[in-house]
Amino acid sequence: MTISVDIQTVRRPMDRRTRARQAHIWLALLLAAVSVISLATGPTGTSLWVAMVKIIDGEPLTAMERVVIWDIRMPRLILGIAVGAALAVSGAVMQGLFRNPLADPGLVGVGAGAGLGAILAIVLGALLPLWIAELVGNALVPVAAFMGGWLSTIILYRVSTRRGRTSVATMLLAGIALGALAGAVSGILVYVADDRQLRDLTFWGLGSLAGATWSKVLIAGPLIGVAVLASLFLGRGLNALALGEATASHLGFSVQRLKSAAIVTVAAATGAAVAVSGGIGFIGIVVPHLLRLATGPDHETLLLNAALLGATLLLAADIISRQIIAPAELPIGIVTAVLGAPVFLWILLRRRGLVEM
Amino acid sequence: MITARDIQVRIGKKPILHGVDFVAKPGEVTAIVGPNGSGKTTLLRALTDEIVWTGQVQINGRDIGAYKTWDLAAVRAVLPQAATLAFPFTVIEVVRMGLRSGIHGDRDIVAQRALAMVGLGGYEQRFFQELSGGEQQRAHLARVLCQVWDPVVDGVPRWMLLDEPVASLDIGHQLLIMRCLEDFAKRGGGVIAVMHDLNLTAMVADMVTIISDGRVIASGPVKEVFTDASLSAAYHCQLRANTIPDDHAAFILPQVAQSVVSLRGEAITVAG
Ligand SMILES: Nc1ncnc2c1ncn2[C@@H]1O[C@H](COP(=O)(O)OP(=O)(O)OP(=O)(O)O)[C@@H](O)[C@H]1O
Ligand SMILES: [Mg+2]
Repeated sequence: MTISVDIQTVRRPMDRRTRARQAHIWLALLLAAVSVISLATGPTGTSLWVAMVKIIDGEPLTAMERVVIWDIRMPRLILGIAVGAALAVSGAVMQGLFRNPLADPGLVGVGAGAGLGAILAIVLGALLPLWIAELVGNALVPVAAFMGGWLSTIILYRVSTRRGRTSVATMLLAGIALGALAGAVSGILVYVADDRQLRDLTFWGLGSLAGATWSKVLIAGPLIGVAVLASLFLGRGLNALALGEATASHLGFSVQRLKSAAIVTVAAATGAAVAVSGGIGFIGIVVPHLLRLATGPDHETLLLNAALLGATLLLAADIISRQIIAPAELPIGIVTAVLGAPVFLWILLRRRGLVEM
Repeated sequence: MITARDIQVRIGKKPILHGVDFVAKPGEVTAIVGPNGSGKTTLLRALTDEIVWTGQVQINGRDIGAYKTWDLAAVRAVLPQAATLAFPFTVIEVVRMGLRSGIHGDRDIVAQRALAMVGLGGYEQRFFQELSGGEQQRAHLARVLCQVWDPVVDGVPRWMLLDEPVASLDIGHQLLIMRCLEDFAKRGGGVIAVMHDLNLTAMVADMVTIISDGRVIASGPVKEVFTDASLSAAYHCQLRANTIPDDHAAFILPQVAQSVVSLRGEAITVAG
């Protein structure tokens, strides 16, 4: 018997990998378009176009234009992109790590852990020794959020993984427990908080980009940027992990290092996003899921596409939140929940078998 | 060469392997046979450093502990007894996961050829989870083939370690896959395969190691190892090793069944 392989006869239909790569370009263009709309939108009626024409003609901008576009809308735009990308990529990485499409930092308590870290920093930050306070400075809240997210991811992974198999049921239940614990501790902190701290705390519950400033961008931006970029290198490893930890290691991936990298990435991105924008839900689960339906689960393309689509959708939600009851604005967390929750239910309805408990 | 010396494995308090010695040469198909629970998978897991073990394992003259995970994957591919897959990947996507950087030629063509070699040409865009059990097993095998596509690289042989590669295949595909493995060995690579089908083993394997209760009972060229005594001792039942006169291949018959078979037809009588 001989093995004859005739490649000519092998059918070669359009691969969805090609589509996934083309999606990088389309999603980047979409993000650019939404970014421009975001910069042009606001209650003051300051026109981006007028300002652009002035810049091109070399005319000076009015103080109003400078403040509105450069100091209010621009940091908000950058923060929106960073937070949207961070949430979507964290979701995709976490789903790859847990080998389950329902793992999402927001759902399983990582967001709550990060929020608790941030709240602790807000309320108890003043009690820190001066030299520590000076050392971390403005970064105290994001760093605390990162630690909270990191700790809860590790607890979650330890509790729900036995012999390389992660139980979704355990994961969701552990997430509920972590969320409840974080909520309870936050409740205690609310009692001891003063008025200014209370206002800061309320912001966590709702989630908003309204407080965007350049200093927040400088704190969260680099952390999220590094985490999102680093996650792009996890693609091949996460693909291999879909075959199980043993096979991933046979394929040449150091599984322990891969998992640690994934956990740190999720914690950094989620922690930083939560620190600057509070609890914004559903981006992390809806975006990767939509992309998997459209272009497949290959993490090599999924992660970048998730970053782009996550940023786009969050900016869109932010625009809606600013316009719908203008001149007041709705917290963006409400918008993503109102739009995201039905999509999430629809996902569950379509794929009931998805959660093998 | 893959050599293992004095491999001991215990899981909890229970000893599973009691000092197993094992050798496999490149250019040969080396089979590991033995009854259920005898420790074949455990031995393979020790050879692939998947579990805690003591002793010494060398691949191509180097301790496996001295390899980095990435370098080890460059010299050997592993097919587990049972494989899982999360997420709805297509067949070609799964096979591509075996591709490594540094492969010669068009990587996509390699993946397609590997699929064609296991009889899955045209299955590229099917969802992996929608394949039958045997088809899934062959797709995983194609992934393994991709990982060690060239049997020899820079004079260094590469290895396939396979746990029951043909367990759920029909006889035609069993032959196809075994020929694939033979071909890989002929071109200078090394194959280690855990097998249950003794006749197929006798037909294809060059060397065989029989394991029973965590010990090596016999090891060497198939014809020397497959004797009535060693087989019967390993499997705790009466077995007879015969030789087909035409091509000198061994074939194994259970003693009780032999009378049953001879009652039914001449085919076996002719072969014997
Ligand atoms: N994780 C484990 N915990 C406890 N015992 C185990 C474990 N894995 C294997 N064993 C025991 O080790 C022994 C050898 O198992 P192994 O899987 O190596 O058998 P095998 O020869 O591959 O059998 P089969 O032909 O059924 O695949 C068996 O008795 C089994 O019960
Ligand atoms: Mg076995």
